[in-house]
Parts: sequence; structure tokens; C-alpha cells
Amino acid sequence: MSEARSWGRQRALCHWATPFAWLVLLLALTLGMEALEGGFRLLEPDSREIIYTRADFLVLLGRHLLMVGTAGILAIGLGVGAAIAVTRPGGRDFLPLVSQLASMGQTFPPVAVLALAVPVLGFGTVPVIVALLLYGLLPIVRNTLVGIEGIDAGVREAARGMGMTGGQILRQVELPLAAPVILAGIRTSVTINIATAAIGATVGASNLGDPIISGIVNGNTAYVVQGAVLIGLLALTVDSLFAKLMPTRG
Amino acid sequence: MARVTGRPNIVLLSLMLAALLAWWGLPSVSVAPNRIVSGSAYLAPEVAGVGLAALACLPMVAVMGLAWRPSRTRLAMALALVVLMLTALPLWLSLAALRLIDPTSPGARMGIGPGPWVLLFVLLLALIELRTRLGLSRRLGWGLLAVPLGSLGVCLMRWLSPLALWQEYQGRREAFESALGEHLLLVGVAVGVSLVIGVLVALAMRRWPAAQRAGFGVLNFLQTIPSIALFGLLLAPLAWLSSEVAWLAALGVSGIGWAPALLALVGYSLLPMVRNTYVALEGVDPTVIDAARGMGMSHGQVFRQVRLPLALPVILEGIRITTVQAIGLTAVAALIGAGGLGTFIFQGLGQAAMDLVLLGALPILFMALGVDAVLGALGERLRPGGTP
Repeated sequence: MSEARSWGRQRALCHWATPFAWLVLLLALTLGMEALEGGFRLLEPDSREIIYTRADFLVLLGRHLLMVGTAGILAIGLGVGAAIAVTRPGGRDFLPLVSQLASMGQTFPPVAVLALAVPVLGFGTVPVIVALLLYGLLPIVRNTLVGIEGIDAGVREAARGMGMTGGQILRQVELPLAAPVILAGIRTSVTINIATAAIGATVGASNLGDPIISGIVNGNTAYVVQGAVLIGLLALTVDSLFAKLMPTRG
Repeated sequence: MARVTGRPNIVLLSLMLAALLAWWGLPSVSVAPNRIVSGSAYLAPEVAGVGLAALACLPMVAVMGLAWRPSRTRLAMALALVVLMLTALPLWLSLAALRLIDPTSPGARMGIGPGPWVLLFVLLLALIELRTRLGLSRRLGWGLLAVPLGSLGVCLMRWLSPLALWQEYQGRREAFESALGEHLLLVGVAVGVSLVIGVLVALAMRRWPAAQRAGFGVLNFLQTIPSIALFGLLLAPLAWLSSEVAWLAALGVSGIGWAPALLALVGYSLLPMVRNTYVALEGVDPTVIDAARGMGMSHGQVFRQVRLPLALPVILEGIRITTVQAIGLTAVAALIGAGGLGTFIFQGLGQAAMDLVLLGALPILFMALGVDAVLGALGERLRPGGTP
């Protein structure tokens, strides 16, 4: 870990350039969308309103991040925790079922999951967060399982031979070795959730999906493009951030 | 994985405990006099009396007993019991419909409560667990589901007409069929087009390695952009194109509708398609190629008769990923007027009509699972040394 960190610091400037560029672009557009009014006027010459004003873009961005972030943090905690639990001797009985469920569940389209969550949980922000959490769990559980199960048995044996306890092996051997695969799972989970959260705007959660939905409903292409550009930039910022966190290209 | 031990199977025990709790604690059905009013919920004992509800617990308890000291025979018996319970679930709903719905009021409808849904989920988990423990093939697992599905079919035909989901379907039979057709068509065309382009791009990448980095960069970039944003971003240029180019407009290309949907779907489908095709073609063992050359095969023959067949399972895996992904994305495309089953989802969400949402979401789910299962099995069969 420390090696990766010092390596990161050495090349910090060029290393973080891509995510930083996306972030700057995202913030610039979030704060200064009005400046582009002339451009959007070309798209929608007849509309009275050109810039989405029902909510501040910064507020929408914040809500979007809050939803994805809350769901993501909970999904990481629960997903990694569950995967660790079923790879311990006590929970090993559940391993086949959990791993099958995690790989099968990823077949479910995110929209269908969101749609199925509404009859059970109702409309609003919290149900969307719960749906995002449930859906985001799957890639994390799956990748954590793959990461931990993929560790050579000899490595574990050697750690045990050095007198490490089960907890020490988990913290100092298994989790660090599985970290790249786990991180890849978190990346998949978060990327999908940024997109799915936007669709959550149709079930009463207010976020960057709002301008898109409102634009589609009112036939205002400018609104749609404003929301779409911001969501696209958010996704690119977060994804490029993850790409830089990855120790290896994958 | 087919480990059958003498220790209690904790998984089955906890699943059946959950099933018992769901059966007694969660509402079984809800009954409403018409579409607008929200229904009143009924627990299992309220539907058919405590005696019958308790009788229904017997197989769950029996599975727990069998799971306590598992052996192959006992687990097979438990599997039979689980299939039996799955088969009985539609019959239970039929019984509820017969008892609770007043046949003289035609608008009355019955919604499935959380109880049966949880029960269905738990029983399917138990089925997967038992299938894995017994080491049965995936295909046999799907085959076992034929019995409950048959029971569901019969019940829908005979007794389940007041089921709200079924009524939504009956009311929109034609719309449903055309939406299903649109959905399948969009997915099919998108996967077909991206397969052709994907193979060409992968071949080009093999010939010009310099193009490889740039190509994957662009495709990765596309895949990152959320679908709803890409659909939105395509609105403007396509609307402009159709207003400027007459023949495109005549073709039906416009900012909304199938054109942006198809473009976006192909864009998303290209990454998995190109990646798998490229990896598949690259991954063929070079000694096999050498051997084929040594036998006097020409370049074209090596490609057609050796490289392509060997790469086929991995290419098929790409088609599987792409198709499953496209089925889900097409649902989102309904937002920009591309039609398909997503229409029902978003209509239902707009009207707060949950059964309409289910009418759109459930077929999409089944389509994704079905394609995944069929193409997965096909890939397994084509794999050299795979089970035929």
C-alpha cells in the first residue's frame, strides 16, 4: 500500500490530471450553465425557458452524489462484509448460494430492479437509495469473493505458518491481495449506480436526472442536454478517478 | 461443490425459517374493489383459515427436518418438496381469488402481497442451493421449474383472472404484444449490428495494433456515459440531422424514437463485443495455429477452420453479455419514445399503477434471465471439451 502511495505522490501531477480535468469541467458547467444560454438557444429557439431553473444544478449534483455515495458506502460495507463472512469457516456453507446469487443477480437489468423496488418500498429518495444499494451489492460481493478465493492456497498456508491468526491473515494478506479485484467491483457498482440514480428521477428522487425527465416530458431538448452533459461528466470524473486508483490497468 | 455432509445444512434451515416467517407474518394478498382504490391486505390464515395455513407449513418443516441430517436421498426429497411448494404457490393464489373476490363485481382485483413474493424468492434460493449441493446440471435446474410454471399457466387460465397483473395484461394485450415485439426488435438489431461492426473492429485491431489502444479508449469512454445521458445527448444532433437531411427524415430518423435508441444501444454493445472477439481471436493457442499451418492450410483456411471455431465460445460470451445489457438498456430507451416494454414501466410509475410497472419489469427480467441461460448453455456446449 505504502509503495503504491509514494509512487502516486511522485507522479501526482500528471497522474491525477485526467480526473481533475473532468472535475473542473463538471464544476464549471454546474456553476456556469447560464453562460451557455446562447448555445442552448440554437437547440430550442422557440422555448421561453432555456436553462433549467427549477433547482440549482449544484444542489442536483449534490443530491446525486449523496444518493450514489450513501448507497455506495453501504454497499461496500455490506458487500465486502458478506463476502468475508461466507469465506470464513463459520459461514462457508453459504458460499455456493451467495456466489451464484451474486453472479445471477447481475443479469437483472438495473431499471427492472428499480421498477420492482417501487411497489415494495414506495416512491422517493430512500427507496431509490435502497434499490441502488441492493443492485450495487452484487458486483462488490462477486468481486470480493473472486479476489479472496483466487488467492493461492500456498500464500495462506505460509501466513499461517508464520503464526498469523485468522484475523491477521484477513487484514494483512487476503484483503491487500484481493484489493485490486474488489476495487474493480466497486468501480462497476458505482458507475452503474450513477446511471441508475438518474433514472430514479422518474420515481420521485430529485437529482441530475430531473432536467432530463422534465425535458423529455415538456419536449425541451435544452433541459435534456443540460442534465445529460452533467451526468456524463460526473460519470467520467468518478470513473477516471477509479481508473487512477487501480494499481494495474484492467 | 456437491459436498453432502452429515452436518445440518444451515443454509436450508435458515431459508425455511425465513419462508415460515414470510408465510405467517407478511400479507398474502390484497383485494381492491377497482383499479383506483388501494386494496386491503390479508394474511395467510385470513385467506383460508388457520388449519389450511398451518397445513401449508408442513412441507417447510419437513425440509428443515431433512436438512437437519442431510444425505443425498434426503436432499433429493427436499428438492422434490421445494418444487412441490413452488407448484402449490399459484394454486394458493387461486384459492385466495376464489374465496376473497366477489364474482358479481367485475372490477374487483387481487394483488399479490409481499408474502408470496418473499416465499417465491426464498424457495428459488432453496432450489439453487439444493441443485448445487446435489451437483445437478443447470439445465436440469431450469427443467425443474417447468412444473411450477405449468401450474402457474393453468391457474392463470382457470382461476386467476382477478389477479391485478393479469388484468393489466388483458387490458393491454395488443399494446403488450407490440411493445414486446419492439423490444425484441431493438435488442436484436442492436446486437446484430454491433456483432458485425464488433468483429470488423476486432479484426482491424489485430491487423493494426496501433488502433487497438485508441479503439478500446473510445469504447471504454462510451460505456462510462450513463445510458439516460447518452440518449439525451443524441436527441439534439439527430433532431438537427433529420431537419437538414430529407431522406433521413423520410426514414423516420428523428431526435426521439428508435434512431437515438438504436445508436446508443450499438454504442454500448460495441465494447463487450469487440473486447470478447479480440480476446477470443488473440487467445487461440499459437501452437495450434502452427500445427494447422504445418498441415498446409492457407491463411484463410486457418482463420475459418481453426481460429474462428476455437474462438467461438468466447465470442458467444460477448454476445451473451451484450444481449443481456441491451435488454435492460432498451427499457430506458422507452423514455425517449423508442417504445418497448419500458413504456409500461414508466407509464406505471407515472400513474402509480404498480401492476403496470410489473407488467413491464417482469418480462424484461425473464428475458434477461432466459437469454443468459440459453446463451450460457450454448457457450458451454461449444467449448472444446465442454459437456455436449
